Amino acid sequence: MSPRLRVLLLGLAALVLAPCALAVIAAMPEFGTAIAPYGARINAVAPAERNIANMVTAINFDLRGLDTLGEEFMLLAAVTGTVVLLRGRRGERDGDRAARLPGRAVVPRSEAVILACRIAGPLTALFGLYVTVHASLTPGGGFQGGAVLASACVLIYLGEGYAGWRRGVRSAVLDAIEGGGALLVVLCGLGPMLVGAAFMQNVLPFGTFGALLSGGLVLVANLGVAAAVTAGFSQLVLEFLEETRAPRPDGADGGDDA
Amino acid sequence: MSLLPYATAAWLLGIGLYGIVTSRNYIHLIGCLAVCQSATYVLLLGIGYRRDAIAPIFYDHPPGTPAVDPVMQALVLTDIVVGATLTALLLVLALQVFKRRGTLDPQKLKPMHPPSNAGTRDAGPREAGFAGEARPEPQP
Repeated sequence: MSPRLRVLLLGLAALVLAPCALAVIAAMPEFGTAIAPYGARINAVAPAERNIANMVTAINFDLRGLDTLGEEFMLLAAVTGTVVLLRGRRGERDGDRAARLPGRAVVPRSEAVILACRIAGPLTALFGLYVTVHASLTPGGGFQGGAVLASACVLIYLGEGYAGWRRGVRSAVLDAIEGGGALLVVLCGLGPMLVGAAFMQNVLPFGTFGALLSGGLVLVANLGVAAAVTAGFSQLVLEFLEETRAPRPDGADGGDDA
Repeated sequence: MSLLPYATAAWLLGIGLYGIVTSRNYIHLIGCLAVCQSATYVLLLGIGYRRDAIAPIFYDHPPGTPAVDPVMQALVLTDIVVGATLTALLLVLALQVFKRRGTLDPQKLKPMHPPSNAGTRDAGPREAGFAGEARPEPQP
């Protein structure tokens, strides 16, 4: 199909769909006046029911915890797919050294970059932990904190270079953390059933409103998600960086028709 | 004026689709897909917004203060996480396409056209998809 034909088809589709979209937009509730009843009820009820200040956390890890369980496994599946595709293609043939493009000079990292990363890395990790553990109080939680923690992991690569990154960040450890995190979320669902409650029912004591340890089971699920997101995102970065490894010099890498 | 957020979402989806249709590079196409997805962020946050309301976090404000819809914010959170991981997965697929076919241009990929440098094992049907290509291939 030629590019022109494709644009023509898109234009035709737009001609048909634009009036529909306009009709839908015109029929939408007035912007900024009211929110959906479900969200309004949660805002009204959940702080007292769960002793959680952050409603988004309450929804993610308690009221709609089942959705988070599904999302958790979607994350796991996407990371697994990435790893399988990259690693299966790469095999175990490559060496441990980063590949060099012939003709391109290797510029060493400046000391300023190393210093900045060594200062910013631990601070970023600390901030990620802070965001994670304050899930039930302030904006944050396992997803956001996990992403920040994974960024701290990438700072290791920026500051220490490829060799230091390879020494410090082990794929097997990340696998264990990610699987363990997902398992913890599943156990948050199955655990309450052992004491006769429903799946993912919040059976732990809720604590006091406004305290760091408030929300009961939410805290455990939050930790599980934080671990899985941290390790999952780090694993993604690690697998992409592994793509830069040089083939073994002994020529054991035949057959890659790239 | 009150239709602006929804119109913005529709416009984002539109330009993202236009980018996908006219794309000549898979990396660019994945970026366009991210633009399409950002339309859902705008739409969800627009639906959940309420004027003169706080974020749905009752730490500094007492419970009962008018707040925006927390369900929409939780949905956007889900959206972002899933989008990020799927973008990674799509980038891997683009990488595999480039390794197999030496191009990232969707135009140059004819599904039934075997690559010139491959033997008989590549001449078969390609509907096995990319997952099939991840297997370590037996050397002829």
